Amino acid sequence: MALHDENLWYKDAVVYQLHVRTFCDSDGNGIGDFRGLTNKLDYLQELGINAVWLLPFYPSPLRDDGYDIADYTSVNPTYGSVEDFKTFLTAAHDRHIRVIIEMVMNHTSDQHPWFQEARSSRDNPKRDWYVWSETDTRYHGVRIIFLDTEMSNWAWDPISKSYYWHRFFNHQPDLNFDNPAVREAMWEVMKFWLDIGVDGFRLDAVPYLVERDGTSCENLPETHAVIRDLRKRLDVAYPGKMLLAEANQWPADVRAYFGDGDEFHMAFHFPLMPRMFMAVKLEDRKPIIEILGQTPQIPDNCQWCIFLRNHDELTLEMVTDVERDYMYDSFANDKAMRINLGIRRRLAPMMENDRRRIELLNGLLLSMPGTPIIYYGDEIGMGDNVYLGDRNGVRTPMQWNGGWNAGFSSADPERLYSPLISNPVYGYQAINVDSQRRSEHSLLSWTKSVIQTRNSFRVFSRGSIEFLNPTNHRVLAYVRQLGEEKVLVVNNLSSSAQAVELNLQSYKGHIPIEMFGRNLFPRIGDLPYLLTLGPYQFYWFRLRRI
Amino acid sequence: MVEDILLGDEFLRQLMSVGEVDLLVAIPSYNNAGTIGQTVQAIEESYQQNFIRDRVVILNVDGGSTDHTPDVVSAMDGRKAVGYRGLTSLRTVHRVTTQYAKSPSQGMALRTILATADLLRARSCAIVSPTTTNLDASWIANLLRPAYRQNFEFVAPLYTRDRYHGLLARNLLYPMNRAVFGQRIREVFSEEWGFSGRLASECLSQNVWNDEAVRARPEAWMAVTAICSDFKCCQSFLGPKVPPASGSALDIVEVIRQTVGSLFRCLETHQEHWLNRSGSQPVPTFGPDHELTSDGKPANQEKVFGLFRTGVTELDPILGSILTPDTHARIKDIAALDQEKFRFSHELWVKTLYEFAASYHHAVINRDHVIQALVPLYRGSMYSFFLEHANSSPEEIEADSESLCLEFERQKSYLVDRWKAKG
Amino acid sequence: MKAMIVQGLEQAYQNLVHMLAEFLPRFVVMLVIIVAGLIISYALKYILRALLHLTKLDRLSEEAGASRMLRMAALPSMTEVLSRSVFWVTLLGFILVGVSVLGVAGLQGQISRLLQFLPEIVVAILILFLGLIIANFLSRAALLAAVNAGYASPKMLSWSIRFVIWILAISMALEELGVARQTVIAAFSIVFGALMLGLAIAFGLGGKDLARGFLERYLGDKKSEKTEEPQPL
Repeated sequence: MALHDENLWYKDAVVYQLHVRTFCDSDGNGIGDFRGLTNKLDYLQELGINAVWLLPFYPSPLRDDGYDIADYTSVNPTYGSVEDFKTFLTAAHDRHIRVIIEMVMNHTSDQHPWFQEARSSRDNPKRDWYVWSETDTRYHGVRIIFLDTEMSNWAWDPISKSYYWHRFFNHQPDLNFDNPAVREAMWEVMKFWLDIGVDGFRLDAVPYLVERDGTSCENLPETHAVIRDLRKRLDVAYPGKMLLAEANQWPADVRAYFGDGDEFHMAFHFPLMPRMFMAVKLEDRKPIIEILGQTPQIPDNCQWCIFLRNHDELTLEMVTDVERDYMYDSFANDKAMRINLGIRRRLAPMMENDRRRIELLNGLLLSMPGTPIIYYGDEIGMGDNVYLGDRNGVRTPMQWNGGWNAGFSSADPERLYSPLISNPVYGYQAINVDSQRRSEHSLLSWTKSVIQTRNSFRVFSRGSIEFLNPTNHRVLAYVRQLGEEKVLVVNNLSSSAQAVELNLQSYKGHIPIEMFGRNLFPRIGDLPYLLTLGPYQFYWFRLRRI
Repeated sequence: MVEDILLGDEFLRQLMSVGEVDLLVAIPSYNNAGTIGQTVQAIEESYQQNFIRDRVVILNVDGGSTDHTPDVVSAMDGRKAVGYRGLTSLRTVHRVTTQYAKSPSQGMALRTILATADLLRARSCAIVSPTTTNLDASWIANLLRPAYRQNFEFVAPLYTRDRYHGLLARNLLYPMNRAVFGQRIREVFSEEWGFSGRLASECLSQNVWNDEAVRARPEAWMAVTAICSDFKCCQSFLGPKVPPASGSALDIVEVIRQTVGSLFRCLETHQEHWLNRSGSQPVPTFGPDHELTSDGKPANQEKVFGLFRTGVTELDPILGSILTPDTHARIKDIAALDQEKFRFSHELWVKTLYEFAASYHHAVINRDHVIQALVPLYRGSMYSFFLEHANSSPEEIEADSESLCLEFERQKSYLVDRWKAKG
Repeated sequence: MKAMIVQGLEQAYQNLVHMLAEFLPRFVVMLVIIVAGLIISYALKYILRALLHLTKLDRLSEEAGASRMLRMAALPSMTEVLSRSVFWVTLLGFILVGVSVLGVAGLQGQISRLLQFLPEIVVAILILFLGLIIANFLSRAALLAAVNAGYASPKMLSWSIRFVIWILAISMALEELGVARQTVIAAFSIVFGALMLGLAIAFGLGGKDLARGFLERYLGDKKSEKTEEPQPL
C-alpha cells in the first residue's frame, strides 16, 4: 500500500517552477547556476513545496530560452555540469523535494548535431529524423502557434534545398516520430536522466509530435501511440516516475492524453487558468463553474495540474473571442503587455499588487482539485518588465534581498543575464525574500502557512469536489471530500463585502472549523447557512461531526 | 428611501444574491404565461448582443397571476443560443420574480420596480410589456442605451404606426402634454419605456402611491416628473406598434379615464411648473423619427357619430356645468350638423379640452365624472378626423397633427386663465 | 275693614315679593345660562369652522356634489352650514336648559320631550341630505356610463336610479322620525317590489333580445363592438 501510494506522489505534490538561470548565481558571471540553486534548497524546503520543475537547462543557442536543445544529455556549461546537477538532485532528495525536468520531444535546435547531420545531405542516415518536404504545401491549413514571429510552419533549408517542418520557431525543426530511431533515441535520453535519479518529465508540446495530411496535425492517434509506448517502458523500468503533458487544449481534448491511465500521469488544465483571472475581474464565478463543468473525469491514477502563471504568456488560446477581448481590456490594455495570443505579465502586477486578490487567487490554486504549481517569485509578489522581448519580462532574476543585485549574483549589474526589476513598487528593494522572511505577515509567510495547511490534509490533493451554487454569483463555494474528511471552501470573488446562504443540508450536524484560526463556527442546521465575507476573502472550513 | 414593508423577505433574499447591477429590465405581468417566455428571451438576447460585459438582471413583478406566469420566467433556461465550445455569456444573468400584490395594479408594480432599481443601484432600467408580441432585442437595447451610455434620465419610445391608430395619443395626449409641459415627447402613455437609476430614486421618494391616476398609468407620471424636475429626456425609436390581439384591449372609456385622468392629475400636481411657461422644445431622438405608414383604413364610424350626438344631448346638464356657456353652445351647434358636413375644428377642440382641464381642477362635479363626460366629445373629434382624412397621405396627417399641436400651444394662456379663475 | 284690606294687600304684596324673590334668582340664572350659552356657541362655531377649513371640507363636498345642492337651496358653503347648525343647536340647548331652570310647571315636560325629539329630527334631515347627494352621484355615474356605452335610453336609467334612491332615503327618514312606521315600510316595500317586478317583466319580455345580447357578450366572445373603434393609443 505504501509503495503504491509512493507511486502516486505527484498527486500530493506542491510544485515550484523555476529556471536555473534566474534563481541564484554562485560563480559571479551574472547567470544562475546549479550550485547556486543547491544553496537555495533550504529556502524551498522552508517554503513547504515538495517538488521542483526545472525549465530546460541543456546546451542550447538560447533562442527560445532553452527550449531549442542542442544536446539532450548534457548541461549547459553556464549553469554547471552534469556533476553539479547530480549534487543538486541528491541535496533535493535529502530535503524530500522531488525533481521534474523538461523533455522537449517535439523539436530540437537547428544547432543540434542530429539536425546538422540531417540537413547535410539527403542520404544522411539521420535525414529521416526530421520532417522534410519539397514544397511547403503539405499539411495545409495547420495553425501557426507563434503568430507574432512566424509566417509558416515550413522553413527553407538552403543547405539541403528543401523545406523542413517546425511548429514553433523556425530554428526549432520538428523531429519525425514516425521514425522508430527517433523514438528509441528519445527513450535513451529519458533513461539517461532517470538513471541519474530525476523523478519526472514535463513533455513539452506533445500534441504536435506526429503529422498527417488532411488533419490539424494535433492530438493524432499516432501521437498517443508514441506516448503509450513510452509510458509502458517507464512503468516497467522506472516505476514511480511521472510524465506530465503540456497540451494546451480544451479539457475534453486533453482527456485523451490520460488514455486509460496508460499515457500521461498528469496534464495541465490550461483553460481553467485564464478563467480564474476572469472570474475575479468579473466578480462572477460563472467562468470557473462552466469550464470545470465540462472537464471530464480522468482515470484514478491521473491528476490535473493547475497553475496561475508560468514562464510563458498567460495564454488566451482556449477562451472565446468575447472572453479574450475582455481579458485584454482588463489586464493588458497596453499593447506591450500582449504577445502571441496571451498576456506576458506576472501575477502581482495583474492583481495591481492588491494583497487580498493575490491571496484569493493563491487560495483558489491551493484548494481546487489538481496539483498546484507555483511560479518562482510569485510567493513574494515579484513584478514584471513588459519591455523585455519575448516572454523575458516574467523571467527576471529572483529577488533575495535589497542589496547588490538583489542577492542574486555578485557580478556587475550590467553583466546579469537580464535586468532586475527596480521600480519602487516591485523592485528588489521593496520585494525580496529576506525582508519578507522577517515578517509573519508578509506574503511569503502567508504563502508558507497556506501551503502548510494544505499539506496537512490529504483531502485537497486527493478529494472529490462538489460545487455548491448559492444564488449569489459572486461567491464560489465547494466541498472537498476524501473519505470522512470534508472541507468547505468559500471564496468571495468580489471587491465588496458579500452575504451568502449556502445549502449545506447534506452536512447537517457538522461543525465548521475555520482552518487558519481554528475557530469554531455555528453548527450546520436545517436552515441555509449564512456567511458573510469581506472583499476578496475566502474561508477554508473543516467540517467535523462532533 | 425604500419602505421595508414593500419588498418581502424572499424577494430581498433574491436581490441580495443579485447584488449591484448596471442594467435592469422589468416585466410587469398578470396572466401572461403564454407570451412572457418570448419577452424574457428577447431580453436575454439583447443582453448577450449588446451588453455582454455588463452586470444585468431580469425582473418580473407579478400581480397575482393564476396561470403560473412567474414560474414560466424562473423555469426558462434561456440558453437557446449556446456559444463556442458550449460556453455562453460572460456573466451570470439573474432572473428574479416577485408577486407585488394579490391583484394587478400598474402603480404598485412600478413602485416595486423602482424600489428594486434603487436597491440594486441600477444605472439604466427599462420596462417592457409581455403583451407586446413584436418586442425584440434591439428594442431593449434602444431603451437602455441612452440612460446607460449618455446620461439621459428618461427614455420615451417611438413607433411606426398605422395612420388611423393612436388617435387619442395624437389628438389629445401628445399635443396637450407638449403644450402644457413644454417638451415634445410623443409617447407619454406606453407599454415600454426607459429611465435612469437616478430618476427611479427620485420618483420612489415621492409619496403619490395612493393616487388613482398614478396607480393606473404610472409611466405618464414618471415622464411628467422627469420633465418638471429638469431631468434630461429623450426618445428612442423601437419599431412598429402592433395593436394587441382583439378582445384583450381595454375599452375606450376605460382608456380615456386612465390616460386623460392621469394627464389632468399631473396638471394638478405640477402646477408650479407649467403655469408660467409657454412654447415647447423638441427632445433628442435616437434612431429614426416616428412614422405613420399608409396602411390601415378608417373604421366604420356610423356608430361613433351617433354616440357623439347622443352624448351631447343626454349629458347636457353635465356639460353645462363643465363648459363655458359659449363653448357649450358651439358644441351643441356642431352636434346638430349633418353627418357628412360635420367638422370639429381644432380651435374648438382645444378650447373644449382646456375647459375640461380647468373644470377638473376646480372639481365642479366629481372628477372622474368630468373625464367620463369627455368621451362622447372625443368620439366626435375622432369622427371629424376620419371624415377629413379619409384619403389623406401620412404626410398630410402629420402636418395636420403639427398644426393641432401649435393650436394647443397658442391657446395655453386660455387654459392658464381658466385654471386660475375662481370656480 | 280697612285693616283687613291693608292686611290682605300687605299679604299679597309680601307674596308677590316672595314670589319675585324666588323667581328673580332663577331668572338671573336663566339669563346667565343663556349668555354663557351664547358665548360657548359662538366659540364652538368658530372652532368648528377653523377645523373644517383645515380639513378642506369644502373641497370634498364640492366633489361629492353636495355644495351644488346647497347652492341650489340658497345655502352657504358646507363649512358655514355645519358651523352655524352647531351654533344654533348649542344655543337652543342652552336656552332650553335655562328655561327649564325657571321652574315653570308643565314647561319642563314639554321641553324634555322636545329635547328628546331633536336628535331624531337632525338624523332624519341628515338621511335626506345624504340620500339626495348619493342619488345625484349615482344617477350621474349611471348616465355617463350608459351614454358612453351606447345604451338605448340613458336618461331613463339615470332617472330610475335617482328615483329609487330618493324613495329609499325618504322612507328611511320617515322611519327615523317614527312617523307612520308600519305604513311607510309597507308602502316602500310595495312600491319597490312593484318596480322590480315591472322591470323584470319589461326586461324579460321586451328586452329579451337585449338580454340575449348582453349574455352573449358576457359569456361568449367579445368581438362584436370592440373592433369597430381603432386603437386609441
